[in-house]
Amino acid sequence: MGWDYSEKTTQLFKDAVHGKAGTHMGEVEDADGLGEHGSIACGDALRFTFRVERNQEDPTKDVITEARYLTFGCTSAIAASEALCRMIEERHCTPIEALDISNQDIVDFLEGLPAAKIHCSVMGAEALEAAVFNWAQKRGVDLQKLGVELSQVGEDEGRIVCKCFSVTEPYLRRKIRELGLKTIPDITAAIKAGGACMSCHHAPGGLQDILDEELGRKPSTEESDTDQPKPTENEPVSAYRLGKQIDQAFEGYIRPMLQRDGGDIELVDIKNYKVFCRLQGACADCAGANMTLKMLVEQVLKERVDENLKVVAV
Amino acid sequence: MKTIYLDNNATTQPDPEVVQAMLPYLSGEYFNPSSMYARAKGPARAIEQARQSIADCLGGIEPSEVLFTSGATESNNTAIFGAINANSSRRHIVTTAVEHPAVLETCREAERRGCELTVLPVDRDGMVDMDSYVRALREDTLLVSVIHANNETGVILPIDEMARIAKQTDEKIIFHTDATQSIGKLPVDLKRSENLDLLSFSGHKLHGPKGIGALFIRRGTRVRPYIVGGHQESGRRAGTENVAYIVGLAKACELALQHMREEQSLSVLRDRLQNAVAENVPAVEINGAGSPRLPNTLNVACHGVEGEAILYELDEYGICASSGSACTSGSLDSSHVLKAMGVPFTAVHGSVRFSMSRFNTEEEIERVAEVFPGIIARLRRMSPFWDDENDCVKMD
Repeated sequence: MGWDYSEKTTQLFKDAVHGKAGTHMGEVEDADGLGEHGSIACGDALRFTFRVERNQEDPTKDVITEARYLTFGCTSAIAASEALCRMIEERHCTPIEALDISNQDIVDFLEGLPAAKIHCSVMGAEALEAAVFNWAQKRGVDLQKLGVELSQVGEDEGRIVCKCFSVTEPYLRRKIRELGLKTIPDITAAIKAGGACMSCHHAPGGLQDILDEELGRKPSTEESDTDQPKPTENEPVSAYRLGKQIDQAFEGYIRPMLQRDGGDIELVDIKNYKVFCRLQGACADCAGANMTLKMLVEQVLKERVDENLKVVAV
Repeated sequence: MKTIYLDNNATTQPDPEVVQAMLPYLSGEYFNPSSMYARAKGPARAIEQARQSIADCLGGIEPSEVLFTSGATESNNTAIFGAINANSSRRHIVTTAVEHPAVLETCREAERRGCELTVLPVDRDGMVDMDSYVRALREDTLLVSVIHANNETGVILPIDEMARIAKQTDEKIIFHTDATQSIGKLPVDLKRSENLDLLSFSGHKLHGPKGIGALFIRRGTRVRPYIVGGHQESGRRAGTENVAYIVGLAKACELALQHMREEQSLSVLRDRLQNAVAENVPAVEINGAGSPRLPNTLNVACHGVEGEAILYELDEYGICASSGSACTSGSLDSSHVLKAMGVPFTAVHGSVRFSMSRFNTEEEIERVAEVFPGIIARLRRMSPFWDDENDCVKMD
């Protein structure tokens, strides 16, 4: 098979899939902590839940007694989820102590992961963090007061740098710092950003720019729009087809719209992307007729037919 | 455990007869076919016999229209860049969204080097949109490159019709087809398909060796050499001929023609597996089922599970298949073919391709049909997106 997984990874995967005793597939009912990471569109996702033995006096002394996961993903995503649950249960630790488990600990537990699969371990660490945050909310624990830095919820929202995997700039910057990422392949391996269409690699404000800034290689560049220029449509539109499309837009949208207000419009001619037309009925005497033509008709034609079209009132 | 090999669109088991035919040229008959002494005539003759044999297999074309290459990727590169380099007054290329990367990425590279590219969309069944095609052709269109049968879904595109439309629009348009998956599986007659100018294929998809392929160049088609630095192949492809592999390729083509009926009847096994999957696995897409397909190919996409995990589980039973999921692609992106077909995003990562060959048996297919539903059910039980009660994907 394509990936060079450790024995441990393959074994955990097999045990988990076949529901061997001691594996952790499933979901804790009425969980004390629930965290999710990933999405089905991106190809992997983890729903992580845990139960604690509650300490009546001090919720920060709650101890995690059970951890479970549901995972959509590849061999290593499933093995990493299983590893995470085992490590937590073995430690008999509080949720806050559980945060010490890093993605590297998961990698070590799995006896290594292929570089391109590191993101599976990151997914585990992220879901854990989200679950601890959820627990803290439920139990009224003020994590910030305790000096626990959690970056979940809200803070990672921002401009999307990698559109394929919906990775935002704040999240990207945080992960570059936390995981010590130095190159674009590092980023892709850890959090998948840049792993699909690759258009964000060297776009302005893209992965390389952000890396350079974070690593202090370049003075901060201005925020810029990462939108690539839209690929131009090469297809030549024959005069016949253009005319037909314009006609369809008139019959299907523009005329019915005007007719509702007792008006109408006549298409006079089309020459070199200029649509000559004439307002009729109630619209013909309307003070806003010109505006109607410009705003409405032109907009519909630009949207439905071709953005180069211009309307000329006759 | 016995291996059940169902990944024949990736590569095939070489036929023992092919291996036998190659062996002399890997030992005693090692001479350079370009050398002058009498002993070198053997290898030289073997190449020309192979060329004649392949020309016969392709419908009785001229042997000089067959160019040997290192495989379909080189054939495709030669076709695309060779055509571009020979026709500098035109710069527009048309291809489809479901090409193999050997064509699609090569066209994109041509675009970076100054060509203009139109990529035609396909519908849910993987069929190219003919209206878009007609609209795409323009005055400076140089090349149209369309895959004959898609490697992932087996969907067969109407290349003869598309080539005819290209020629009737403008006879100077060069029409290329990547026939890597169809040669050996479908009858191809290049005398009858008179509008095809260039056709690529390779040896290892039809029980021949890897590292050898051919490009058909119809006489009169302007194509510059892609690999230069020698006089071989009439100056059209430099490098000492890979004699043993050329002989192997020819043998594989001859055998494929002999076994064509068997290849065609693989659709019986394929349909049996397809029906078993459709009956016993809920929420599954049969990709390309609405189009004409290669008889040996079945592509199913299971909602809510991930393909790599499926492959590892299949491997436990000795079953070899492949997937279009992100985790199996080398990049992190899922199959561009399935995405172009609009396979739902909840299923595109859960695709599995089974591709058969004449070496597969009924028992093997029964075995796959038996274990596959259980594998999917197990993986779905552990998926956060699977609703067990309603047998569907759940999205919160």
